Amino acid sequence: MPKIKVNGQEIEVPEKSTVIQAFKQAGVDICHYCWHPGLSIAGVCRLCMVQVEGMPKLQIACNTEVKEGMSVNNTSDVVKETVKWGLDFHLINHPLDCPICDQAGECGLQDQYMQFGSYDPEMAEPKVKKSKAVDLGPTVMLDKERCILCSRCVRFTDEVSKTNELGIFNRGDRSEIGTVQGKPLDNNYSLNTVDICPVGALTSKDFRFRQRVWYLKEADSICPGCSTGCSVKVHYNEEGVWRVKPRVNPEVNGHWMCDVGRNTYKYVNLKSRLLSGKVGKRDLWQEVSVEDAVRSAGLKLRETSPDAIAVVYTGQYTNEEYASAFKFFKEELKVKNVFHWLNNPEKVNEFDGLLFRGDRNPNTKGLENAFASFGAKGSWDNLQAGINGRKFKTVIVFGPEDQSVFPDLDEKIKMFSQAENLIWLTACANKSLDSVGGETWQIPVKTYIEKAGSFTNFQGKVQDFKAGTTIVPQALSVSEAVELMAGREINWNLRPRGVGGPKTNYAVSDRGEL
Amino acid sequence: MASTFSMSAEGLAFIKKELTRYETPYSAIIPSLFRVQAEHGWVPPEAVVLLGKTLNLPEAHINEVLYFYTMFNTKPVGKFHIQVCTNISCAMNGGRELTQALCKHYGVEVGQTSADGKVTINKVECLGSCDTAPMMQVNADSYLENLTPESAIKKLKEMGA
Repeated sequence: MPKIKVNGQEIEVPEKSTVIQAFKQAGVDICHYCWHPGLSIAGVCRLCMVQVEGMPKLQIACNTEVKEGMSVNNTSDVVKETVKWGLDFHLINHPLDCPICDQAGECGLQDQYMQFGSYDPEMAEPKVKKSKAVDLGPTVMLDKERCILCSRCVRFTDEVSKTNELGIFNRGDRSEIGTVQGKPLDNNYSLNTVDICPVGALTSKDFRFRQRVWYLKEADSICPGCSTGCSVKVHYNEEGVWRVKPRVNPEVNGHWMCDVGRNTYKYVNLKSRLLSGKVGKRDLWQEVSVEDAVRSAGLKLRETSPDAIAVVYTGQYTNEEYASAFKFFKEELKVKNVFHWLNNPEKVNEFDGLLFRGDRNPNTKGLENAFASFGAKGSWDNLQAGINGRKFKTVIVFGPEDQSVFPDLDEKIKMFSQAENLIWLTACANKSLDSVGGETWQIPVKTYIEKAGSFTNFQGKVQDFKAGTTIVPQALSVSEAVELMAGREINWNLRPRGVGGPKTNYAVSDRGEL
Repeated sequence: MASTFSMSAEGLAFIKKELTRYETPYSAIIPSLFRVQAEHGWVPPEAVVLLGKTLNLPEAHINEVLYFYTMFNTKPVGKFHIQVCTNISCAMNGGRELTQALCKHYGVEVGQTSADGKVTINKVECLGSCDTAPMMQVNADSYLENLTPESAIKKLKEMGA
């Protein structure tokens, strides 16, 4: 492996690396826009200039291969002067509307300018005016003035999503990003273009103008949207969760994630959640504390004969939760009737060729592993026959966290509710559950953002994640619920505070929809 | 606009033959666009759809080429398409003033066609005749060179514009 010097610091880099990769490896800042580790080399922004010892002219680091013994720097006066001018040219037609730009605070142009800018623009020519709110498709808006034509989004739709919606049209200072009439930017990966846009030209319709990014905190997590299990960052504040973005993971998702996965922040927020325990039957149910609900459900389970209990799992919980639930039902209660509720069996093996899979559960594999090590699962026919034949008196369901991916939800609730007693663990509120005729317990559980654990993805890769924030402090993890059902104690004192829910922005509501 | 767009059988055959000449279908975009323009006078969006299918390329990439070069018309043009070069040599020798004089004479704005459909005036990129600046091209093949506003109008009149 070649040894080279980056700003005097000697490092060893892999064969065939480019100089910019060497800078990244050395942890040395280098100004750049168009280069992106997940895309091809374009070499158009001309900002990653470096001086290579022995070469008469400056080189662009993104398209220069390292050679043994090479010594490069981006600290000499000539590099600094060149980058300064390069940035000035990028700003000739930039509107500098940072105070109202959604990218402010995470903008490449701002960041680079802080470090490498000239602070003293000398252009006398008037700026070229372009459209500032172009609707590119269902998810993305374009501001043509802010665009610096790095071509990252165009290369993304060519090389990654392979949908080819975007192009650069016109010439010179009239060049602009756009779509072809009648072919909007509309694919399941469209919002990655917003992520890789180094300025505020492409913004997400879902997120723009809703929060200032510097007020958001971020937590690493795993996307629960399907069995791929992309590494993600969840952005939240004291009002709730606002967006999900991809985190680089070469083994699973590379740099990207799908638009469907980005929606997984929605059901997590207060508005859709079950906030207390509910016990009773149709029209007679009562809201009770979570502890009361789960303890009385536990009592019911312990007084039912093991053969009259059916346990139904969905692939939406963590490996650790499955372990404690299987242990409790199998070893303590000696329940033999366990079932796997697969929401869309006909689509389970579908795959779009990039990331998105038809199995819309993050941990189907983990559940199957739990079945394999704790006991065989029962067939769905047996469950149905058992409920209809009054063999199963008490059915406990570890219900879906994201209810929208269970198209058969209402139908299954109807089926389960024919049992005398139905215990349902759920993160989100559900109207159908309120109208069940038999005795029903609804117990609020945590979402993926609120708990630590691991999911096993389709490859069998076990991925740990930590708790990000807490939305509903009273909600339990399945492990905690099981402890309480078993009649044991959990430590209530360690529970964090929840969030307050969205605040009303009067300035915005007075003005109407943005 | 031109929803009735279709290409001649020879035109289509020409494009398919162009495809066999290059390593990549991208190289066939420019000759194909020229052929469309020769047959149709301009390149309507429907032609881009047709080329996309024929060349098996995304329409966005065909539009990238189409909108980059000023020699392709993306709108219908008049009988006399006057293309005045306003790149550096022509601009320094009065190309922009020449454009203004022509616009005034024919009563049209840059990029527009006169009401009688006779004349369209456009500013274009370098036409490779810097030594005879300022100059302009009329339709596909006439170069008018070493112009003044007066001589340009005179020459155009002789051509019938």
